[in-house]
Amino acid sequence: MDIFAREQSKSTPWIHFDPNQNHLQISGESYPENSAKFYAPMLEWLEGYLNNMQASKIQVDVKLIYFNSSSSKLFMNFFDMLEEAAQNGIYVEVNWIYHEDNDTALECGEEFQEDLDNVCFKLIQIE
Amino acid sequence: MQEDIQHFYHQLQDKGIIFSFSGPISQSLLEGIGQTLKQKMTLEETSKNIIQKVFSIFVELMQNIINYSAQRVTAEAAEQEISYGVLIVGKEENHFYIISGNYIQENQEDALQEKLTNIRTMDHEELKKYYKQQRRAPVDDASKGAGLGFIEMARKASQPIEFKIARMENGYSFFVVKAVI
Repeated sequence: MDIFAREQSKSTPWIHFDPNQNHLQISGESYPENSAKFYAPMLEWLEGYLNNMQASKIQVDVKLIYFNSSSSKLFMNFFDMLEEAAQNGIYVEVNWIYHEDNDTALECGEEFQEDLDNVCFKLIQIE
Repeated sequence: MQEDIQHFYHQLQDKGIIFSFSGPISQSLLEGIGQTLKQKMTLEETSKNIIQKVFSIFVELMQNIINYSAQRVTAEAAEQEISYGVLIVGKEENHFYIISGNYIQENQEDALQEKLTNIRTMDHEELKKYYKQQRRAPVDDASKGAGLGFIEMARKASQPIEFKIARMENGYSFFVVKAVI
């Protein structure tokens, strides 16, 4: 399976999903014109990856400064897919990385954390 | 002509209007103006939290026009669309506010009225619950958004969202919404 990658743009994040390292990374801002359309290939890739999962652990690093409401829905889908994998016995660690003075990013992380039971969801503050 | 423009410009300034735009709106315009707004607020040493809130409501309202304005031009060949609307960012009594206006189809009126009236009655906890519930709700295929925009705005605003829908002729209504941060 190939790496899934997207370069960062003004309104879309940098995405780097490496199936060999089982390391998924998203970083930047997200407010595309059509979030469903933008994230469809990423979620499709994730579905294929999870269906053919060989390893027992996935590490996910998410560092989002800002995202709009429609992106939020797509991230919920993304986390729900990981939640399902975690229910099926894969150890999924999500690192929600936020800057110390970005209260909004922290709150958003907390709200995803509250909605996920099996994913190991960590809030990580950086300076 | 020159005097009119000068008068218009000063009128905007006197009213505390930082930015006003009326006309065709696109994602690239949103990105450009959004960046400038952030810069301006940063230069004025506005707190990061306020900047985030203003930017967030700005994005939701601009994309609301882009996705839902009934006045739009579509190019058949490319997947390109331009929507029309008006957007104002200002400051009054030390609070930023954003107002947007656009045409909607008359038959969208009731659903919008109901949704916004409902949101206006909710407190912070109720809004959070509603937001989370809607975030996991199945998406309506015809909708380009997630139906979360107004809830998000209400959560970021310091006062209940104000709105007005005015019936026009020929099957359209004009929809205005104001959020105070």
